Amino acid sequence: MSEIKQDAAATNGNMAEEKDWAAAKAAFENLKSNKPRPPKPQYAVTIAVSSRALFNMVAERKIFQEDGMETYVAHQQEHESEPLKEGVAFPFVKALMNVNARLRKLYPDSEELFDIVLMTNNHAQVGVRLINSINHYDLSIERFCMTGGQSPIGYLKAYMTNLYLSTDSEKVTRAIDEGIAAATMFTQSTDTELSSTQLRVAFDGDAVLFSDESEVIVKQHGLDSFFEHEKQFENKPLAQGPLKCFLEALGKLQRKFYAKNERLDCPIRTYLVTARSAASSGARVLKTLRSWGLEIDEALFLAGAPKGPLLQKIRPHIFFDDQMFHIEGAKELGTISAHVPYGIGQKYHKGKLIEQPPKKE
Amino acid sequence: MASSCYGDALIRRIKEKASKWIYRNPVPGPDGTHLNHHLPKSGLRKKDADAVVVAVTSDAVFDPGADEGDAFRVGLAFPLLQALQRVNERLLEQNPSESLLFDIILITTSSQRQQQSSQIMRSTRHHGLEVGRFCFSSEDNFLESLLENNVQLFLSTDRNETSQASQRGVLSALLDQRAASSPSEQLRVLFCGDTVVQPNAAGPMSTIQHDAQSFPAQLGKMRQRFGMLDSPLVIILMVSQGGRDSCSSALQVLRSCGVGVDEAYCLAGAPQSPILSLLHPHFLLSDDFGELEE
Repeated sequence: MSEIKQDAAATNGNMAEEKDWAAAKAAFENLKSNKPRPPKPQYAVTIAVSSRALFNMVAERKIFQEDGMETYVAHQQEHESEPLKEGVAFPFVKALMNVNARLRKLYPDSEELFDIVLMTNNHAQVGVRLINSINHYDLSIERFCMTGGQSPIGYLKAYMTNLYLSTDSEKVTRAIDEGIAAATMFTQSTDTELSSTQLRVAFDGDAVLFSDESEVIVKQHGLDSFFEHEKQFENKPLAQGPLKCFLEALGKLQRKFYAKNERLDCPIRTYLVTARSAASSGARVLKTLRSWGLEIDEALFLAGAPKGPLLQKIRPHIFFDDQMFHIEGAKELGTISAHVPYGIGQKYHKGKLIEQPPKKE
Repeated sequence: MASSCYGDALIRRIKEKASKWIYRNPVPGPDGTHLNHHLPKSGLRKKDADAVVVAVTSDAVFDPGADEGDAFRVGLAFPLLQALQRVNERLLEQNPSESLLFDIILITTSSQRQQQSSQIMRSTRHHGLEVGRFCFSSEDNFLESLLENNVQLFLSTDRNETSQASQRGVLSALLDQRAASSPSEQLRVLFCGDTVVQPNAAGPMSTIQHDAQSFPAQLGKMRQRFGMLDSPLVIILMVSQGGRDSCSSALQVLRSCGVGVDEAYCLAGAPQSPILSLLHPHFLLSDDFGELEE
C-alpha cells in the first residue's frame, strides 16, 4: 500500500505493540454490544476526518471567532447532549462504513478495512460533545486525536493516515507538504441524493492522481505545446500525484470483492474526471494507470468542458480536484468537492497567475 | 544512616513573594554529618497544607556518574523540575498569596548518594533549581521519608523504587528518557485512561475518587487557575486499548473529580509509541504504574 503503512509493517514484529493489539481486540470482543471492532491500523486504509468536516459546526465556529475560546468551549459543554448536525464528510464516512460491512461479511477475519479517525485540534472538553454526536449517529469511529489547540498535522503519521479531510485549507496544505494525501472539503450549494450502497470517488487527473508536470507545460507554454508533449511522451508514465496511493488503496479493496465474484455489485466505484481529451492527451493517462497496475472504473475525458454537469450525473461521495475553478463549478451543481492544494494550479486562477502575498514566516 | 530532611535556601523572588516555606540552614554536626532537622509538625502553617508535595530522586535530577567539576551534570528530570517551577511562578504571578503550589523534595534513595549531600545541594544551587526540601535517605529508609513528608507524588527512574513506594500507598511514576525531551516551560501530565474506568485499588484513579486532596485532584485545581490557552500545565488523556466509550467515560470521570483534560488521544489498540513520542509527557499516571512500552 502507501509508504506510511510499509514502514509500519516493517516494525510489526514489535512485541509490546502486538500485546496491546491483542488486549484491545479481546476487550472489544468482550463487549456485549454488536459494535464492529476497529481494524488493525497497519492493514487498514485510515481516513482522518476533522470535526468540522464530519459535523456542521458553523454556528459554533462563529462563537469561537466572535467570543473567543473560553466561551466556545463553555458553549460546547452546555450543549453536550445535543448532537451536532451532519457535516460535508458525513455521507463519505457512512459510505465507508457500508463498504466495511460488506467486507466483514466476505472476509470476517481480515483487518483490511477502512479505519476512521477523528483528527481535531479541538479541546478535549469539546470532545465529549463530539463523542456524543458520534454515538447519536452510530458512526464507527473509535480512534480520536484531540490536540487541545496544537496542530494535528504531526499526529497524522502517528495514526498511519492514508487520507486526511478537513475544512481548514492551511492544515491540508501542511499535510500535503508532509507527503500525506489530503484535501479541503467544501459544502455543496444544493443537496444531491447519494447512493447508500456504493461508495463513489471521483478524481481529477493532473496534480491529483498524477504529478503537475503536464499542467506546468499548459500554464507556461500553452495548450498546443501540451498536446505535442503528451503525444511525444505517451508511453512514458507520469509521475505520481498526492492521491495516487489512495486510489491504490481503494483498488486493493475492490479486488477483494472481485475475488469473491462481486465485481458487478462492488460497493466501491472510482471515476477519473479530467479536462484532457481522449484523442490527444488521454492515452498517456490510461497507460500510466496501467503501468502502475491500477484500475479506474470510469475514465471521463471532458476536453475542457465544465466538470459540474457530468459530476451531477455521477453523484460521487467526494470529488478531488487541484483547481478551485473546478471545485466551485462542481459545488454549484451539488457535488461534494475536495480541493487538493498541490502543484502549479495553486498559483493560477482561471488561467491567470495569482498575485501571491509575501509568505508569512 | 538515618535520613535527614531539611530545607534549602530558595530563590529570592519566591521568598519575597510568599515566605511560606520553613527552611533551616544545614548545620554540620560534630562528626561532619548533618544534624537531623525535621520540619516540626507544629511549624507547618495552614498555607503549607495546600502544597502539592512532589518528591524526585537525585539520580533522576542529576546524571549519576557525570560531573562538571564541583557540580553534577543535570539528568533527565531537569526539564521536569523546570516545568514544576514554571507552574509555581505562573501561579504566583496571578496571585502572590497563592498557596496551591508544588513543594519539591529532592530525595536520595541510596547510601552512596546519602553521603554526597553537600555536592547534591551545591549542584542544585549551581543549576538554579528551586528545591523546597532535601531528604538524604538510603535504600532502607526512603519510604519512611516519603510517608513522613506527606509526599503526594514520587518520581524516580528506578522501577524497584516506584514499585515499593506504590505498595506503601504513595502515588508513583517511573521517569524515562522521554522526560528528557519534554518542554521546560510547560508541565505535561499524561493520564493513561484504560484504568480510569476500572480503577485498581492503589492507583491514581481510585484515590481520586475517594480523596479530594489526592494528587490528581490537586492538579485539576491548579489547572483551573489558568485559561484554555497558554497554560503552563497541560493534562493529557491517552486511552490505549479502549475505544470511544472508554474515552468518553474517562473524560467524564476525570471531569467529575475536578480534572479538566486538555488533550485526548484514543487508540483502540493502535500502536502507542508513535503517539507517545509526539506527546512529550513529563510523566505518566497509570494504575499500571507506567508500564508502557519503551
